[in-house]
Amino acid sequence: MATVSLEAFTAELDRLRADATAALDVAGDEATLEQARVEFVGAKSGRLKAIQKMLGGLAAEDRPAGGRHFNDAKQVITAALEAAQGRVAGTAAETEAIDVTLPGDPIRLGHLHPITQTIRRVQEIMGRLGFESVDGPEVEDQWHNFEALAIGAEHPARDPLDNFYLSVARAADPLLLRSQTSTVQIRVMEKRKPPLRIVSLGRVYRPDTADATHYPMFHQVEGLLVEPGTTMAHLKSVLRLFASSFLGGDVHVRFRPSFFPFTEPSVEVDMEWGGRWIEMGGAGMVDPAVLAAVGYDPDQVSGFAFGLGVERIAARRYGVADIRDFYRNDVRFLRQF
Amino acid sequence: MIISTHWLADYVQLQAPTDALVERLLMSGLNHESTATVGADTAVEIEVTSNRPDCLGHIGVAREAAVLFGRPLHIPDPRPLEGGRAAAESVAVEIRSPDVCPFYSARVIRGAKVGPSPAWLVERLATVGIESVNNVVDVTNYVMLECGQPLHAFDLAKIRGGRIVVRRAAAGEPFTAINHKTYPLTEQMCVIADAEGPIALAGVMGGAESEIGDATTDILLESAQFAPLAVRAAARGLVLASPSSYRFERTPDPAAVDWASRRAAAMIVDLAGGTLEKAAVEAGTLACAPATIELRPHRIREVLGIDIAADRQRAILTGLGFAELDPGDGVGKPSRWRAPTWRRDVWREIDLVEEIARIEGYDRVPEDWPITARPVELSPREQAIRAASAVLVGAGLCEAMTRSVVSAALESTQSPWGDSAPLVISPALVRGADRLRRTLLPSLLEARAGNLSVGAPHAELFEIARGYIGRPAGTAAESPVEEPLLVSLVTGGSFAAAKGLVEAVLARFGVCAAFRPVDLDLFTRGRAAEIVVDQPGRAPERIGVVGECAAGALAAAGLDKGVSAAELRLDRLESALGIERKLRRPSDFPAVERDVNLVVDESVPWGDLAAVVGQTAGDLLEHCRLVQVWKDAERLGADKKSMVVSLRLRSGSGTLSSEDANRVVSDVVAACGRKVGAVLRQ
Repeated sequence: MATVSLEAFTAELDRLRADATAALDVAGDEATLEQARVEFVGAKSGRLKAIQKMLGGLAAEDRPAGGRHFNDAKQVITAALEAAQGRVAGTAAETEAIDVTLPGDPIRLGHLHPITQTIRRVQEIMGRLGFESVDGPEVEDQWHNFEALAIGAEHPARDPLDNFYLSVARAADPLLLRSQTSTVQIRVMEKRKPPLRIVSLGRVYRPDTADATHYPMFHQVEGLLVEPGTTMAHLKSVLRLFASSFLGGDVHVRFRPSFFPFTEPSVEVDMEWGGRWIEMGGAGMVDPAVLAAVGYDPDQVSGFAFGLGVERIAARRYGVADIRDFYRNDVRFLRQF
Repeated sequence: MIISTHWLADYVQLQAPTDALVERLLMSGLNHESTATVGADTAVEIEVTSNRPDCLGHIGVAREAAVLFGRPLHIPDPRPLEGGRAAAESVAVEIRSPDVCPFYSARVIRGAKVGPSPAWLVERLATVGIESVNNVVDVTNYVMLECGQPLHAFDLAKIRGGRIVVRRAAAGEPFTAINHKTYPLTEQMCVIADAEGPIALAGVMGGAESEIGDATTDILLESAQFAPLAVRAAARGLVLASPSSYRFERTPDPAAVDWASRRAAAMIVDLAGGTLEKAAVEAGTLACAPATIELRPHRIREVLGIDIAADRQRAILTGLGFAELDPGDGVGKPSRWRAPTWRRDVWREIDLVEEIARIEGYDRVPEDWPITARPVELSPREQAIRAASAVLVGAGLCEAMTRSVVSAALESTQSPWGDSAPLVISPALVRGADRLRRTLLPSLLEARAGNLSVGAPHAELFEIARGYIGRPAGTAAESPVEEPLLVSLVTGGSFAAAKGLVEAVLARFGVCAAFRPVDLDLFTRGRAAEIVVDQPGRAPERIGVVGECAAGALAAAGLDKGVSAAELRLDRLESALGIERKLRRPSDFPAVERDVNLVVDESVPWGDLAAVVGQTAGDLLEHCRLVQVWKDAERLGADKKSMVVSLRLRSGSGTLSSEDANRVVSDVVAACGRKVGAVLRQ
């Protein structure tokens, strides 16, 4: 049962607001201010408290509106009180100011290696294009590192001087540190049937003398798609989507013919970066011999593969002139990424 | 390969600027390295992939250019005049090792006058970076750079016994090359010998004794086929790579063996005079079997995603030297083609498709085809790597990347993951580093030391990489090498700091593990733990180690101050991450806090006490915390310690009364008394 109308309540509230702000605005000393504080916002018998009690007398449907008005008035009065308190306290407030230019409590930030960040970015983009990240052993056999990839016994790439062979007694099938991550693609294709979209990534090893652009251990990301009806137009389109995402903007992709044992046709992939064509990696249609080696029918499925050198794109991305810096593990370097 | 544009014009008149030529070659497979002006001529350096030995000669490049620009190609057909007696009367040729030399031919020129080459020849060779020697040697170089077939000219008078024997070298057989250095040969290499010994290292370099000099009048001109592996063995084994070995390693055009011989003979007679004896002396069988290939009409579209008109396909292939054996019907019946002798790399349908595509140009292949969507999820391993690195990066560590292959000194550290001998590779990854590491910890200590030496002493580092553990012989496993995925960390903090990081990672994986004392030479004795997961029904499994690094290990790495480190088997944590988490709704009822001060023998580890507390208080125990540990021989007794334990008790079904809480506490005290001899200190 309503005992007070919304109009009466609002009027009382407005009166209070006017009285309170007027009194607080002119309060010039602590005694006057305290008197005004007790009168308007005193906890026991302040006028604000009294009006709050009236709120309960409003009709139920009026209470939300009444409450809103009450809160507004309370805020105005509180702000006026704080302003008056600040004014009366005078210089005392100033002594409590802090030097906001002092440093905050330090939080030590950790950093992912820029190579990891680059790999994750590639994984993320390729993931959106439906490519799943896969992993395989770094110590490989002849079949996965060479033969299944159509790299025959006489191929120069198998020369002992061009690979890190393990000196364990396995004359028939010497083991080596993988020289490319395509080995993982073979392992996945041996176990699974198309359709297949994967990126294999990780460390690979080749006996290059370390210099600003070479290191005997580096990272590769290789993509593979095997689905019926795949053409080079799919390859180019996927790489363009990748490039546009990785580099930002509408990036174009250019193919130049090249030669890799495990793709046919084979191409070098250039991407437009800062108005120039930048070589990003190699690609091609999976060679029918490779499809046959893993038990696929080259007349039923086709696919494409591409590879990117992670160090090279990370170096370009972050302005690293000497890729050996990636392996010095200097925290002054690592903390910049 | 460096191309002279003047020279190229002998075979094809392009009527296009050099830039246009460079661009078209670049876009059809001959990468551009550089362009330079040499006198009036232009030198264009191109990169030739290993499948294209035909482009290691000007004619091959001219053929590409002719097809690309639609211009006719003119190749000379040398028919040198022969006279005098048959060459076979001057020299005999025998091949003893046909596996390394299938075919050998020799022509003989008598009465030549060795002298300087004419200016045009000197200039052409200068353009492509070859210094003129004399008119005979220059011709052999010229013809090699023309057609890609290397030649060699011997001084016939220096060939002992009038015979050429082509054979594998005997092990250790000495050979003195044109550079007057003597090399010991191996059985993998092939030599040209006369009646007494080697006079040339086949396909690589001639011998000092039989080289053409000013006094030479009679010449033996060699043109042969040598096996790539034999040539490579010599060129790499003796570090004697030459333009000749480079070409033989890539198998030149078999048909060029005779062409080059005729061409060079004609030029030598032309420039140096003399008489070419009748017929070449030949031995062996020329290995030359051009492939016959069928091309199904629909394959172009299936591979490239575009159509190329049948006429255009035909023009490209015939321009490149392919012979059309059957045109097919353009619908279902394939066309049939014979590959030219200089394109051994083209022997399958897909190879023909590539030829057509690269000449037509890949710019015609569209780059905006729709790509269908497929669901994809990160693998458990990827998720594990991300979860662990997120915890450690969050804790302020930087990710390091150290070499997988380390020095014997670094590898001498005991691995927490088995005591099989380290695997050794050859050659070394970098100098002195030829062992596959079995733990990442020494590498991380080294990385920390590296930071110290450049004035960054507080390197808190982690790494996620593999170890390499040889499996015992006879193990039934896919690979003889196990590659555990490890996450390792080093910190300048105490054991507790390293353990805290480890616990955070384990918590992220939802793994409960026990820490047990362990002895490893990497860690200070008594200040290290192995981390063990003990699940019912399974053998306890070590998933990690943590400890304060031993002085010896620190000194070896070049560190002196206290460093703690830990290593976890991420591959063994991987599966834990996949376990689905189900909400345990937090209780709405208030908690009751109780502290108890328990005195135990000094030898009682906190872990044992905490286990008793946990078992006794059961579900009501929300949290159990060790507040402090203190020792005081006088007040507690010798070999005793006081442990103040704070318990937070809470029920999920109602407000816990003070009496309930007290009952739990007295049960805990009693159980601790029974199981670890604890006494409540009032």
